[in-house]
This record gives sequence, structure tokens and C-alpha cells, in this order.
Amino acid sequence: MRAPDAAVIRRGLKVTGMYVVSIAVALSLSAGLIAITGGPWRKVLSALLDGSIRNPGRWGGTLAEAAPLLIVALGAIISTRAGLVNIGQEGQVAVGAALAAFVATRGSGPLVLVAAIAAGFIGGALWAGIAALLRFWRNVPEVISTLLLVFIAAQATGYLLTRTFLLLDSDPNKPNRVQTSAQLDSATRIGRVRLFGNEFPWSVPVALLLAIAVALLLHRSVWGFRLTVLGRNPRTAQRIGVPVVVAGAAALAISGAMAGLAGAAMLAGGTANYRYTPGFANSVGWEGLLVALVARNRPLVCLPTAFIFASLRTGSGFLAATGVERSIVDVVRALLVLALLVPPAVAAVQRRRVSPPPAAAAAEEPTVIMGATA
Amino acid sequence: MGATAATPAVRLSSITKRYGPVVACDAVDLELLPGEIHGILGENGAGKSTLMKILIGLVQPDNGSAFVAGRETVIHDPQTAADLGIGMVHQHLSLVGSLTVWENVVLGDHRRLDRRTARRQVTETAEHYGLDIDPDRHVGELSAGLRQRVELIKCLRRDPAIVILDEPTSVLTPAESEQLFRTLRDVVAREQRAVALVSHKLAEILHATDKVTIMRQGRVVDQRTTADATAASLARAMVGREVSLRASATALGAAAVPREADGNAEPASRPSVADDRPVMLSIDHAQLQRHGVAVLDDLSLTVRAGEIVGVAGVEGNGQRELGDLLSSLIELDGGSVTLDGQRVRSGRAGSMARSGVAVIPEDRHDSGCVLDMSVADNLLIDRVAAHSRFGFINRGHIRRTAEQLMAEFEIQGAGYSAPFGSLSGGNQQRVVLARELSSQPKVLVAAQPTRGLDVGAIEYMTARLRAAAESGIAVLLISTELEEILDLSDRIVVLSRGRVIGQLNRADATPERLGLLLGGMATPDEPTEESHARA
Amino acid sequence: MIASVFNVIGDVLSSEAMYNSAVRFAIVLAFAATGEWVAEKAGTLNISIEAMMIGGAYTSAAVFTATDTVPVALLAGVAAGVVVALIQAHLSHQLTIDQFVVGLTLNLFVLGLALFLDSRWKAVTSVVKPTKILLLSEIPFLGEALFGQPWPMYLIVPIVPAAWWLVFRTRWGLEVRAVGDSPQAADVSGIHVNRRRRESIMVAGACAGLGGGVLVLGQISISGYEAGHVGLKGIIAIAAVIFGGWTLRGTIIGCALFGYFFALQLTLPVLGHRINPQLAASLPYVVALTVTAVFATRTRQPRALAQPFVRGLT
Repeated sequence: MRAPDAAVIRRGLKVTGMYVVSIAVALSLSAGLIAITGGPWRKVLSALLDGSIRNPGRWGGTLAEAAPLLIVALGAIISTRAGLVNIGQEGQVAVGAALAAFVATRGSGPLVLVAAIAAGFIGGALWAGIAALLRFWRNVPEVISTLLLVFIAAQATGYLLTRTFLLLDSDPNKPNRVQTSAQLDSATRIGRVRLFGNEFPWSVPVALLLAIAVALLLHRSVWGFRLTVLGRNPRTAQRIGVPVVVAGAAALAISGAMAGLAGAAMLAGGTANYRYTPGFANSVGWEGLLVALVARNRPLVCLPTAFIFASLRTGSGFLAATGVERSIVDVVRALLVLALLVPPAVAAVQRRRVSPPPAAAAAEEPTVIMGATA
Repeated sequence: MGATAATPAVRLSSITKRYGPVVACDAVDLELLPGEIHGILGENGAGKSTLMKILIGLVQPDNGSAFVAGRETVIHDPQTAADLGIGMVHQHLSLVGSLTVWENVVLGDHRRLDRRTARRQVTETAEHYGLDIDPDRHVGELSAGLRQRVELIKCLRRDPAIVILDEPTSVLTPAESEQLFRTLRDVVAREQRAVALVSHKLAEILHATDKVTIMRQGRVVDQRTTADATAASLARAMVGREVSLRASATALGAAAVPREADGNAEPASRPSVADDRPVMLSIDHAQLQRHGVAVLDDLSLTVRAGEIVGVAGVEGNGQRELGDLLSSLIELDGGSVTLDGQRVRSGRAGSMARSGVAVIPEDRHDSGCVLDMSVADNLLIDRVAAHSRFGFINRGHIRRTAEQLMAEFEIQGAGYSAPFGSLSGGNQQRVVLARELSSQPKVLVAAQPTRGLDVGAIEYMTARLRAAAESGIAVLLISTELEEILDLSDRIVVLSRGRVIGQLNRADATPERLGLLLGGMATPDEPTEESHARA
Repeated sequence: MIASVFNVIGDVLSSEAMYNSAVRFAIVLAFAATGEWVAEKAGTLNISIEAMMIGGAYTSAAVFTATDTVPVALLAGVAAGVVVALIQAHLSHQLTIDQFVVGLTLNLFVLGLALFLDSRWKAVTSVVKPTKILLLSEIPFLGEALFGQPWPMYLIVPIVPAAWWLVFRTRWGLEVRAVGDSPQAADVSGIHVNRRRRESIMVAGACAGLGGGVLVLGQISISGYEAGHVGLKGIIAIAAVIFGGWTLRGTIIGCALFGYFFALQLTLPVLGHRINPQLAASLPYVVALTVTAVFATRTRQPRALAQPFVRGLT
């Protein structure tokens, strides 16, 4: 069987070529945009590389940024598997981090750290659980509810920071006038790994292990199998004994829990100097979601993707010297995401043109996105 | 070019269409003449549908040419086909439920939308052909028979020179079918249109057509005048070998063939099931409302171990809901389901399967399988937990079990790791059958188990269902094909509007009696109105 | 306690500023929601409506800064909305990339782009003066709110009935409804399913872009374009469509309701009532979520909503 092999190789080459072209287009568009607005695009690129990996001690920082992105992405993959679209990770990260801060600032020591991380996990789960409740009980599309909950999360956690009995630092000598939580005690922080002059918190290797665990669970476990059936054909799932509502709601809650976990890990890993601050999530939720999308929901592909996205984050810190606004990174990132989404889609369209499925029977009733079929 | 009396309304010349390695149409020639009903006969997968899709522009041929009214034409899309005067009456795909009848009829036109004119035209067309319809009803509320009437009006209003009907009687009662053929005869005789009638039913082709083209495996194997054809000769040409007419009566829709004429008949005298066998499945007073309409209405039935009970009825009379109920997909509003003496709660995920109900679903893509998972995964989809250790799936175990099942049930065409969706329809159905039978069920529900299969696959399925019953499984056969019901069942219940309107023992059941029960006792035309009145 | 609550309610009900602000918010939402309603009728749950609004808002503001002409600025806003719509439509209904993925990416992209461009070319807008219709605007309470708005606000008056007419009285609209309900049937009837869907997204883009423009040029209490100005109003517009059960009338009622709570958040402090600022800020979003949950029904939902169409599949 030589011929099909050749065809497969040719198709692979074609897709790779398309990737190269579309990434080049995205990058030149970004460069063009910088140039039009009067910025030096070469310096921008150089600054991004310096800030993310080139300068001494930088890749450790990038790894530290990559860990929460990765954890968020893993959560997103789980809900997507179950056929649910959770796009409110930004809020789930914030709620998780805030609850973790609430627990962590009540005491000190490793036990408190564990409790704080658990609180983050639960906080994220509860926040996504609201969306799950609305979805399965009242048919509100989770796309909309998770998004609206992002905004509500920002305000709700902001409120926690206005009351000392909740989160607000009661220390009169606190560093600045911005409302922040108290700093985590040094015994309540995640330890740090030092490696070749770089350092990052232990949450980085843990996130790596989590990625492997999620990959195994999704592809090898009974749970992952049943979740996949649920996502691809809910009626078949119901028939074989996967309770659509319970399993779906659980998947959504777990994906929120992962985002909350990422928030807790950020807090105890040193983000914002171990304090919960307004705007703490700082787009980690959005970007983690994009990591999952670009990796097309494969946990292990998320590893390099998360690193690249983290590089854009750490690199953007070095942009100030070039006089180009940091928000250019948002533009570059979004263009890159689009560039990475297009080639597989084009390939799929071409494949369909060559050989449509012979006799795909027509399903009479389209599956409805809102509400479970109960 | 053969010298024909009239210019053909449409002539297809050596049309070829390939899907990858599969040749769906292989150098097909076809001529449709005005004033003639032309039957196109063939098994499922013989290439009839592809040919018709080419004719109405849904599929582009790789080779060959089309001549419409003598002029060579390329039919790019359905719009072009419509402009050329080619109209099609689809099985049930071209109507939009949320739109009204008149909106559906004018859907696809180019002219400005004018409600008054459109409604008038609908009424006029309907009256002209004696197809009574209310133009302001929403199509979603109509019965299958009425929907097809709308399809027909939609097609005829455009005054097409060529009318294609794709398996038009699958949703009709015998009486409705008869009326349809009368209308068609009228259309042809009075208005000189060319009609193509696509069907896999011999009886229908013999009864209603002037000429017949028989297709097999993408090729035209025979073309003749219907008057010169017999059921046996058509069947032979269609299947490509001598067939036992009775065994494949289901596939060919030729139940009218006298039984005695069939030499190698199956032993129809299976010992009838004694009444002392235990009742395995019992549905009592099942009640289900959808949008204020009772879709299951005080439905009760029982199936004993080793018995095949056939549920006959015109499509859309509660069969789908009955299948869904036994697939744990719907919760009853009232009544109960009892399996082997145990009451089972309806609508709980997997409750029916756990209690020993296996289901061959009406639409396997809807609730039977996952298209983009592998064949092995689909074979064992309901029992991966049994092939796992500490919550992790034992892939080797799965593969071995799957290969065993594939060998036992002769599933061919792809390996265990191929996507389920890449299998042919017949093999997909075998995967479902293999899984359901190997789950050691107490009750087997087979809903339209032979729909869309070719004769060989139907014979296989039929034999398996009989064997299942003989091994002591209680079999509930839900089918709209009367021949299939008559061929397999020990007992027959007739379903209409979600109610059991009659029960027959196999010995008392003749096609005529069953047909009367289906069509005569209850005209399923206005299901909603009556149930509103009842409510 | 109870007395003070009544006090607040009394103040709010008798405040002209409150009605004024509520109507303005409602109108801005209504532009986007009307467009979204058309897109959803055709089967797209178009979350990039947010990006379309942001694009319209910044472009209008920037063009106004350059030209000082309101109509030109609004047209530019429409154009920006349509450009975003073009990207969304082609990626999700030609390449069939998941519509939510495209929408989310576009939302982040346009937000970042507007932020970046604004850092270079600061958009400074002054606000269009209210047009007071004689006598009618003198009606107590509601007079000024309904008859004393800046003129761009009144563009909503022709747009809503026009959208209704388009969807229910034209052939295009008939095809849009067919495509949103049963794309297979529409395809077989000779309708270009994905083309109609793309066109309906363009309509949404034009409406939302205009809404963005009106947002920056028609608001009285806020001057100039600010990042975050749109602040999920596009998503609230989607909530209004769901709240309205996919009827245009219900959608507009939803906009009025949500607009009222946006106004409340601004007006309460002005009236001298202390309200927790976080609660005030999240009020419209909480209300949108709760009310949508209470009223959400699927009965009129386009049956193929958010289902991609590929001929031969499904």
C-alpha cells in the first residue's frame, strides 16, 4: 500500500506549508501594524525575545507564567470533551485566587497552603457550577453565562478587597494605596526550583504532571471514554448510562476548578508578590483558553503552546523601552491564534471536496445547544 | 442515438461518479420521456440516489453529460436544475418545520416574496391536483402524509417538465400511496410531464410505471417496458442472482407474491410461542405528551421470552418514541415499564440497558453510535468498564474482543481501529447488531432494523433476529415495512397516534387486513386536531 | 430601612436623568441586539457582536476626531462592524472553524487592537448635542428621554422595523429563517445556506458597528472614547435576544430592561444614594443572567442555532 502513504505525506506537507504561510502572514501583519503606527518592529521582536528567553534568568519566569496557562487550558479541554463551551475561565481564575487568598491569609504553614489550593479549586468549580446550573436547569447557553460571570467575578472579588474581614489587608503599613490582600506568609508559599540560574515555583513541574495525567485520563480511562461519548453524541451517552446532566455539569465544574486551581497556584507561586490584587487574573483565563484552542484540545500539545503564549507575556514586559504599547501583544497573539486555526480548517474543507462521505444519513432532528435532552 | 418518437425530456449519457474507491455511478445512460412514468429500481447503494442527486445538481458527476430537452447542459446546483424544469419530491428532507405551508412552497424561488399571490398559487395547485391543504399551517404540525403532499405541491407549482420522486411511499399508508399514484398518472397523462419514480419496491414499480431501469452496483443492468416484466425477473436483475422472493420480500416490497409460488420457503411454521413463557417486557398504560399532543397514548404491550412481536404503523405514529423509551431517552408522563418482573424507571441514563434491553435504534447515528470513534470503541461502547482495570481501559483486551465480534458477525470493510463512520451502512448496522446481541439481553428492540440495507444484509439481519428469538430473547420489532412485520412476527400490534389500535396473531394477519387496519381505521391526516379536541 | 428603600425607588422613578440614561443605554443595546437577532435567526450565535461594537466604537471615535463630522464617523463605525463581520463570517461559515472559537478570538483581537491604536491615535470625541423635539420633550419624566436625545439615537427608530420587515417580509428573510431552522432542507431547496448565514452576520456587523458609534457619540455623561467602553454590552445584547425568546419585540423589551439597570448604576450615586460600587457595576450583568435564566425557553429557538452546515454531513 504505497499510494495512500504518498497521499498522506503530500497532505501533511501541504498543511505544514499552510502553517508556515499563515504564521508568516500573521507576523508580517503585526510588524506592519507596528510600522504604520511609527514603532520599530525589529526592536519589538528583539525585546520580546529578550524578555521571554534570551536574557539571563528569563526562561524561568516564562515557565512560571506558562504553568497557570497550561492548567487553565487543561480545564478547557475537559469541558470541550463533554461538548460544553466554557469561555469564562478569566472569572474562574479570579474567584479561585480570591478564595485561596482568603484561606491562605488566615494562617500559615504547609497545611494552610494545601487548604488554600483546595479553596481555589472549589472556588473555580463553584463559579463554573453557576453556569452549569443555569445551563442544565434553565437552558441558558453556557457560552453566554460563563462570559457574563467573568464580569461579575471581577466585581465580586473586588468587593472582597473592600472589607478587612474578608480580604483587605488590615496592616496600616501596607505598601501602596491600592486595595490588596495581605501578603502570604513565607511558610504558605509554593517552594521554588532553582535551575541553571533560573527559578520558578514547584507549580511548574506539577502542571506538567497534570498535563500528562489529563492526557491519560481523557484517552485511556473509562471516565475519559464516557466523557468523549457524551461530547460527541449525548443521546448515545444517555442510552449507555452516562447521565447527561450530571456528567456534563461535572465536566463544566471541573474545568472551572482547574481555572480556580491555576488562580491559587498563581497566588501561592508569587504572582502580584503573593497578594491578591484587583485585576489579579490579568488575562490568564483568556490566554489559557486560547492555548487549548490552538492546541486543538490535545493536552500534550498544550505544553509548547503554553510556553509560547507565556513568552509573549513575559516578553511584553520588555516593550516599554521600545516605546510600543504593551497591548500590541494582544494583537499579535490573536493574529497568531487565527493563523494557527486556519490551516487545519482549510485542509478539512479540501478533504471534503475530494471525497464527501458516501452516504452520511441525515439526522432528522439537529441537536439543540441549549438544554439537555432529557 | 436511438431513434425515439419524442425528444427525451432529459437524457443522461455515460454518467460516472466516484467517491474515493467506490464507484457510485458507472457510465449510466438514462432517458426520461415526456408523458411517461419511468421507474428506477435498485437496492440501497445501487446508485439510484446518486444519479438523482446528479440530476438535480446536488452532486457533480466526474464524467458524462446531461441533455435537457435536447440541449447539453451542466447542472451546477439545485437552482440550475429548478430553472431547467427539473423538480424533485424528496423523502422528507426539504421542508422547514417552523415555516408555513405556503412559505415552504415558495422557498427557493427568485421572485419577490408576495404572500397573497403565493397563497393563491398554493391553493390553486392543490385544487388542480386534488391535494387539499391549508396554506397557513406550520409544516411542523403536519403528519408525514400531509408533509409529502406539501412536497408534491412545492414541486408541481413550478410547472416542472421533469418530476423526480425519491422513495415516495415510505411514509404513506397503502391508501395514501394509491392516491399518490393516481395523481402521478394524471400529471403524466394530462400534462405530458416526465416522471422518474425511484424505488426499491418491486410491487410499486410494477404497479405504477411505464418503463423501468434497473441498477446494480452503480451500473444500469437492464431497461425494459414494465408491461414485459415480472416480479421474479425484476428481482433477479436487481439482486443479480436467483432470490427467494419470500425471504427478501421485505427488501423488494413484494409481499403480494403468492406464498406457494416460492419453492424454498423458510419454515414459516416456527412453533408458536406458548402462552406460558414468561413475560419479559411489559409496557403498561404508557403516556407521553409533547407540546400538548399525546405521542404515546395509553400504550400497553407485552413481549414474552422467545417471541417476536411486530409493531406495525405508518411512520410518525409513536414508533420513534417507543424506541426512545426503551433506549432510556425519554421519561414517561404516566404508565410504567416492567422488565422480567422488575419495574424500571424511564428516562434514567442507561436504566433500560442495565435491565437487559438491547436496542437496534431506528437511526443509529442518532442514538446508536459515535461516528468518529473507532469500530472497536463502538462495538464495546456500553461496556468499556468491563475491559478496564483501576478505571483505565485495557486496549489490548478491547481490541481482541472487538476482533472476535467482528469475525463472528462478519463485519468487513475496515479494521477495528477505523472510524465507525467509514464503514458502509450495512456494516455499521452489523456493528450495532453485534454489540446489542453480545450484551446478552433479555429483550431486543429492533427499530426499522433493515432500513437502508441491501438484500444480502436484510437476509442476514432477518436470520439473526429469528435466531435471537429462538434463543429465548423477547424481540420487539418496530417497523413501517408491512412485509417485514408479516415475515417475522409471532404477534402483531398496530400503532396509530401513539395508541395500540389492534392486535393480531400471525395466523390471522394478511397484508390486506393489516393494510386496512393501518389506513382504514384511522386516517393519520390530522393527528393534532383530534388530540386537541380530546384534551 | 424600608422607608429608605421606598425613598430610593421614589427618587429613581421621578428622576428625568434616570429615564434619559436608561433610554440611551437601551437604544445602544438595541442596535446590537437587533443585528444579533438577525444573525441568530439564520443560525449563528454570534458572540463576536462584542468585537463588532468595539470596532464600531473606536473607529467612529477616531474618524470623528479626524473629520469632526458625525455622519461620516457613524458610517465609519458601520464599516468597521462589517469588517469584523466579514472575518467572522468567512472563518466560521466558509472554513467552518467553530463559531465560538472565532468569536472569542475576534473579541480579544479587536479589544487589543482598539487599545493599541488608541495609544497611538487618541480618539477625542465631543458629544452630539441633544435634539429637543418641541413640546413633546416637555412631557414630565419621559419627555426628554424619548424626545430629547442626540439625533444618532433616533436611527434605532427605522432600524428595528426595517429588521423585522427584512426577516419576515422579504425573500431573503424567508431564506434566513429556513437556514436557521433546517439548513439541510434549505440546501435541498436551492438556497446557499452558508451564504445567507454570512450575509446575516454582515447585517449584525453593520447594526452593532452603528451601535458602537452611537455609544461613543451619543452618550451624554461620558465624553470621549475609553477602552472598555463597550464592556460586554454585546454579550448583554445576546442575552436580550435569548430573554426575548428570539422574537424581535421580546428582544427590544430585554434591551429596555437591561438598559434600565445600566442607567441605575450611573444614576444612583448622582441622586445622592450610597450604593456599593461593585454591586452597582455588576448589577446589569447579574440582572441579565438572572432574568435570562428565568425566561429562557427553547420553544422558539432556531433549531439549527450554532450548528455548522456542511453539505452531506449530519
